[in-house]
Amino acid sequence: MKRFASASLAIASACLFAASAGAGRARYGGTLHVRTAAAIASTDPASRAADTAERRAREQTLAFVFETLTSIDHAGLRPALATSWQSASGDARWRFRIRSGVRLHDGSILQPWHVETALRRVEPDWKIAAGAEEVTIDLPAPQADLPWTLARRQFAIAVQGGARDPLGTGPFRIDRLDGRRLTLRAHDGCWTGRPFVDAIDVDMGQPIADGVAALERGRVDVAPAPQTDLRRLTQRGLRTIASQPRDVFVLVFEPHRTEGGDAPVRRALAAAIDRSAICTVLLQSACDPAPTLVPRWLSGYAPLMPSVDRAAARAAAAPLPAARRALTIRVEPTDPIARAVADRIAVDGRETGLAVTVQAPTGLAPRPDARLLHLAVEEMTADRVLAEIATALGARVVAPSGAAPAPGLPLDAVYRAERALLASDVVVPIVHVASVYGIGERVEFAGPSAVLPSGAWDAANVWLRPERQP
Amino acid sequence: MSLRTRLFALIGGTVAVTVVLVTWTVSSSAHDAFAALDAQRTAALVAEFRREFAREGEAVVARLDRIASSDTVLRVAMDVAADARGRRASTFAEHVNDAATLAAAQGLDFLDIVADDGTIVSSAEWPARFGYRHPWAVAAASASGAFLQSIELPRDGAIGLVGVRTVVAGGRPVHVAGGRRLDQQLLRSLPLPPGMRALLSRDASGELAALSPLVARVRQTRVESTGAVDLTAGRETFTAIPLAGRNGAVLDVLLVGSSGREEAALVSRIRWSGLLFGGLGVLFGFAVSYAVASRVTRPVERLAEAANEVAAGRWDVSVGDVGASGEIEQLARAFDTMTRQLVDQRERLIQAERVAAWRELARRLAHELKNPLFPLRIAVDNLRRAKALSGAEFDEVFEESLATLTTGLANLNTVIARFSDFSKMPAPQFADVSINAIVAQAVQLFRAQADAPGRPAIGVAVSFDESLPPVRGDAEQLGRAAQNLLLNAIDAMPSGGELAVRTSRVDGAVRIDVSDTGVGLTAEERSRLFTPYYTTKQHGTGLGLAIVQATVADHNGRIWVESEQGRGTTFHIELPINPQ
Repeated sequence: MKRFASASLAIASACLFAASAGAGRARYGGTLHVRTAAAIASTDPASRAADTAERRAREQTLAFVFETLTSIDHAGLRPALATSWQSASGDARWRFRIRSGVRLHDGSILQPWHVETALRRVEPDWKIAAGAEEVTIDLPAPQADLPWTLARRQFAIAVQGGARDPLGTGPFRIDRLDGRRLTLRAHDGCWTGRPFVDAIDVDMGQPIADGVAALERGRVDVAPAPQTDLRRLTQRGLRTIASQPRDVFVLVFEPHRTEGGDAPVRRALAAAIDRSAICTVLLQSACDPAPTLVPRWLSGYAPLMPSVDRAAARAAAAPLPAARRALTIRVEPTDPIARAVADRIAVDGRETGLAVTVQAPTGLAPRPDARLLHLAVEEMTADRVLAEIATALGARVVAPSGAAPAPGLPLDAVYRAERALLASDVVVPIVHVASVYGIGERVEFAGPSAVLPSGAWDAANVWLRPERQP
Repeated sequence: MSLRTRLFALIGGTVAVTVVLVTWTVSSSAHDAFAALDAQRTAALVAEFRREFAREGEAVVARLDRIASSDTVLRVAMDVAADARGRRASTFAEHVNDAATLAAAQGLDFLDIVADDGTIVSSAEWPARFGYRHPWAVAAASASGAFLQSIELPRDGAIGLVGVRTVVAGGRPVHVAGGRRLDQQLLRSLPLPPGMRALLSRDASGELAALSPLVARVRQTRVESTGAVDLTAGRETFTAIPLAGRNGAVLDVLLVGSSGREEAALVSRIRWSGLLFGGLGVLFGFAVSYAVASRVTRPVERLAEAANEVAAGRWDVSVGDVGASGEIEQLARAFDTMTRQLVDQRERLIQAERVAAWRELARRLAHELKNPLFPLRIAVDNLRRAKALSGAEFDEVFEESLATLTTGLANLNTVIARFSDFSKMPAPQFADVSINAIVAQAVQLFRAQADAPGRPAIGVAVSFDESLPPVRGDAEQLGRAAQNLLLNAIDAMPSGGELAVRTSRVDGAVRIDVSDTGVGLTAEERSRLFTPYYTTKQHGTGLGLAIVQATVADHNGRIWVESEQGRGTTFHIELPINPQ
């Protein structure tokens, strides 16, 4: 199955680059029309996103406005606004040399004190000192992976100037944020070079299901597409791009169903879930079955996918009283993919003898027995990803397992921590899902990859083909 | 009850009873008519439902035919045939959304594409169910038309009007099973008359939950049945029709309700009309009775009042013109004639009685005066003759005659005084007096006379009611009256006998009874007993009982006599204790 998924992604990328190769030289100009499923509430990168959807929307917009000191790509950690860094005092003191000549969106030069001010807003406990060309950070505790941490979006350098929106150094500047409409303009003085398009018009908070129709009518150039529609998009001749499978769908049982008496129920449901069917059929191969929480393309280890043993699951569930066999799974009502996955889990559970129903409440609703979470993963290493997921699950879920995921753990420790976390079937990983985008016919990519490691499409290297003459 | 009241009651009652009967009859007829109409409408609605059901079934089958002949299903069939070589997952992935697309295009609520082994390739109503066995499509593949089927859904169940079509490609069949949901939307297409509604038993909630026994009965017997339920808006009759599936099992029950609101409204209008006309009838009765009373009862009442006045002694009353005609007018004239004649007769009677009284008075005066005058005339003759006698003899005769004259004049004076007393009888001086004491005193006065030696013995028996209360009266006059009665009783028993005196209390009055065992009275004597100057005695003035009657009358009492010849007489006097 993994081979199948990877092959699908490879085919998609191949199609894309083939199209790019046939498109000729990149050209400047034009406005790129983009849709996002969620709206961003703030242009401040230090502010927290309300949910996964907003996080994705921020990634797809603010990532081209504000840059970080370091960045991560497929090759690993790379310099960004910092050209080099070194640690001292056992990784408790870090010195970052700031790239010179970087212009902010108002034309002024980025100064180390700008960086100091921006980082202090995010981490008030850090002692940050700005020098002539560098910034020195004294940490309260040693942190060997600080450069990785600073690659995260919340540590993007945003300068609070006199304008309404903060200033960044990225290839696009914020021109206007009006409710659900965001306009970005090309930053001519960007240190990485001017982007190809003059502007990006972002229509935020639009239903993801409407994106395909908008693409077909040419009203949108790039729009997120539901994984369940991937084949339909292809059948209609639309191009798609997909990220690595980063997001993870996790079934988490509520505390009142984590006791020992419910162990057979959890075990039966976990054994009944046909992850392959979910990936292959429902999500159109834009995902990987998830025997683990950490995507295997990040962790490198690939435990055997447990086979679906419905007979054993049915035998385990049969002796249980009806009240225990009844399960309600709650999903976010705004997440149609989660709903589709939960519906399939419910079908699998019913075939096992469990009475599984799906709940997508928009108001007050009865207490569920489990939740299907859609967790967005930002980190790029297995230890940090597991820690990130554990943080998202919460101590109430993680602590009883005895697992202690944390950044910096060696890979074998990460593996053991993950096994401990999954041992009781309170946390059941389902699938890792890629972000999928539908691409309009005039959109071309000039960069090495259409999708960034963060899962966002690469707006800085997009150019627009001229309209065909009738 | 007056004639006016009786007329009013009669006319009003007649109108009211008539209106009630008419109202009840019309209401019953309306109820029967509505019941018949209701049954007809229900039957028509059920027939229409079955026609609509058949039309919908044909439409479902036609849509399934179009789906079965589509390229999409053909591709599915070919892929499924190729799946025999083990590529089922890719087939599912390829076609998982096909059923939803086809169902949306054909307006079907349910659509499943099912492989020949019963595996669901694609499901519109439950997309996540791919790869699992379809519960009924293969078994129903031979059905040519539409049928009712219980459909399993992610959250609940539904009833569908479905059909199955089979497509063969690559040597292997694929079944297309689908249809429309049988729900209120389908029922809304039925032409429901006002006041009727149709619903499925699964939608019968709230107050309609009371229909559960009816639904259960129909599910069990599979036979149409009717029942009623009391709702807030009123009583509603429901006809429950079983909706059976392909194997005959009752999947749901169609409930056709008739609220009866139209009937209730009509009956209400009839009743209100009845009340209105009943009220108008009563008013009409009142008016008629008033008019009739004006024509009939008022003259009659005037005649009755005049008759009462006549009875009270006012004989000169006249009704005059009573404003009536015919018999009532003749009656009024006759009445006036009668009163005039009565007045005339009374005048004549008074004149006659007056003359008789004067005659009686003259006779009595003559009688009373004749006796004393005779000695006077003898004395005067003696004196005339004595003039020839010697002086001594003359003196003797003179003295003797003078004594006779003196005695005679005294007798005349006594007679005159007695008549004078009767004419000047004083008004009674009222005070609280004891009747027993008055009667006892009178008895005591005459006891010596009754016991006088040489006279036949008269036994006196006295019986007093000691509990008599005092009465308001004049003791002297009452005593004289008692004495007169006692004297009469003694005089009535010249040969002796028994005198009985008795006092007693009757309703609000005191009674005095004086009985003798004398010769008794004749009828004429009884009728004239209290006439002044009438007497049966040799030396009576005839004023004693007249005085007694006058005294009793002055005390607002009454006196009467009972007598039987040869056995005696009893006088009764009743005096009110508190005279007005």
